[in-house]
Amino acid sequence: MRISKGALLVVIAVLVPVIVELRTALSWFGIELSILESLGLSAVLILGLVLWAVWPPNGDAEAEPSSSN
Amino acid sequence: MRNAYVDQFPTEARVIKAAFWSSFIALAIGGSLGLVQALHRTDVFRFLESPDYYTVLTAHGVLLAISFTIFFLVGVFTWAVTTSLDRGVEDIRFTWGWYAMMVVGTVLVGVTIFAGFLEEPPVVLGSELYADVLFTFYAPLQAHPFFYIGLVLFVVGSWLAGVDWFRTWWAWRSENPDERIPLPTFMVLTTTLFWYICTLGVALSILVFLLPWSLGLVDSVNPLLTRTLFWYFGHAVVYFWLMPTYILWYTMLPKFSGGKLFSDPLARVVFVLFLLLSTPLGIHHQYLDPGIAEGFKFIAMTNTMFLLLPSLLTAFTVVASMEHGARQRGGEGYVGWLTALPWRDPIFTGMALAGLMFAAAGFSGMINAGMNINYLVHNTWWVVGHFHLTVGTAVALTFMAAAYWFIPQLTGKELWNRSVALGQVLLWFIGMTFMSNAMHRSGLFGMPRRTAEPQYQGFEFEPAVGTVGEINAQVALGAVLLTVSLALFLLNMVMTSFNETSDAIPDNTFAGTLSGPEDSPAILDNLALWTAIAVVLVIFAYTLPLASIIDGGGLFGSGIDGFQLGIETGRALVLESIREVVP
Repeated sequence: MRISKGALLVVIAVLVPVIVELRTALSWFGIELSILESLGLSAVLILGLVLWAVWPPNGDAEAEPSSSN
Repeated sequence: MRNAYVDQFPTEARVIKAAFWSSFIALAIGGSLGLVQALHRTDVFRFLESPDYYTVLTAHGVLLAISFTIFFLVGVFTWAVTTSLDRGVEDIRFTWGWYAMMVVGTVLVGVTIFAGFLEEPPVVLGSELYADVLFTFYAPLQAHPFFYIGLVLFVVGSWLAGVDWFRTWWAWRSENPDERIPLPTFMVLTTTLFWYICTLGVALSILVFLLPWSLGLVDSVNPLLTRTLFWYFGHAVVYFWLMPTYILWYTMLPKFSGGKLFSDPLARVVFVLFLLLSTPLGIHHQYLDPGIAEGFKFIAMTNTMFLLLPSLLTAFTVVASMEHGARQRGGEGYVGWLTALPWRDPIFTGMALAGLMFAAAGFSGMINAGMNINYLVHNTWWVVGHFHLTVGTAVALTFMAAAYWFIPQLTGKELWNRSVALGQVLLWFIGMTFMSNAMHRSGLFGMPRRTAEPQYQGFEFEPAVGTVGEINAQVALGAVLLTVSLALFLLNMVMTSFNETSDAIPDNTFAGTLSGPEDSPAILDNLALWTAIAVVLVIFAYTLPLASIIDGGGLFGSGIDGFQLGIETGRALVLESIREVVP
């Protein structure tokens, strides 16, 4: 993993306010999302984050997490 | 050899543990009632009649804003004074005495509030037990005398706690006349001093006006006067909750980050500024009160904006300390150091996320404090969203995270489950994001606070984005997540108390400093000087407004009868109620 499980959980938690307000922010640019579309976009963002976090750094599956915690 | 707090101060540890458990009980009851409120108001699930909503609202506010916070606070302050002075309290019987007084006060207040659920409440001292007066208990709402007596006992108990901390410091000073006041004790003493100053207002309001009025000794009170005296205390009490949080951020968070406090002198400056400015700004809660001239409100706004300074200094100092800790742990880069922080540690993560939420609370607080823009959000759900970020997260989440460190220190038992603790603090952060965000947004389109029935007939609120139903769903979802988080916290505390004692408890120490007290001017420790200036500022800010209020409405008003909350639909009844308070 690129970061520890604890750090990944924290990043997901911090992502929540961003996701909650993303819909409002996008509406300023004329992009109106339904709740389902917002949930779908959220799922994609979180999935992308998780994939990035668990993907072995430099393709090395045995690599250690870069974080010291 | 183990060197936890319970090993150093076993008798004090028992009192602090009792105070913490009193705090947790208040949190459990008050927090559960928060879920009842959220589900009722959003019309997701209702099992109470709407008039009972105000009983729930009062209990939620008083138990959380007064009992939970202040019981925890007196525990933290006693720990901070004894640890930093390296000496126990002067007389442990006195310590138990003020704690018992606070417990009796809380029970009296609680019984009076919960009697509101009874069909026929018992009659005591000539009137039924009743206290649906909300946390902001000014006239014309009138409670049973027991409510006011309970509050007096609780506040006097906290005053005596302050005497206890000062006695301990005086004893230490007589043996160490040339030493600087240790930072944690300095923080406790300055906070206690402004607590004495600000509670004089609420003591005056209760003892001279509200209690005699509820006992029938006087016929009337001046509602604006009792409101003003309440808010004289009502904003400073926010800082009374917040200062133990600041103490933990300044003296413990750097240690959990792996480093040292960036600056002891800056920390002292911050606490001196809070001593000076906490009280002479309460009128900013009364921007829409017609009986106070605009000029006085402008002065209150100016004082409030000055208070941004210590909060910004705190943000700088605490983040700098965390960065120092992260770099000690190998962190590098402009933002890369953030990944080196101990995010698996629930104590660190809970405090750090609480600090992040507090930054958001600061921004919404600036809107509240701005005299003109306040009109947009005054008495709306925005304000409720704001204080759920301050006391509901910055304070409550820091206290819960700190409890994961304190309870092992006080019992000698290891925390039951650190993973559950980490999940709990994250769940609180997520739940509060949903709830307070939706509350803020609903305030922007005028959704009122303090009501069981926020929807008007023949009128639809219009959110900028989405619908009212979505906003309500966010609030309900947030409240459910917060309740689950609360249950996990309490489970961890209970299970920890069943653990065996352990030798693996860390030492009871504070964070070191990069720049220590030797770098700060000695005048910062002159408590008498700062207290005198604080009193002068209060006199400047309040003498003319109070004189004007008394001149306009009389010391005791005229013909103001006690008023009880309820759901009234008849227009004649509503007009009659309004005439009672607006002659």
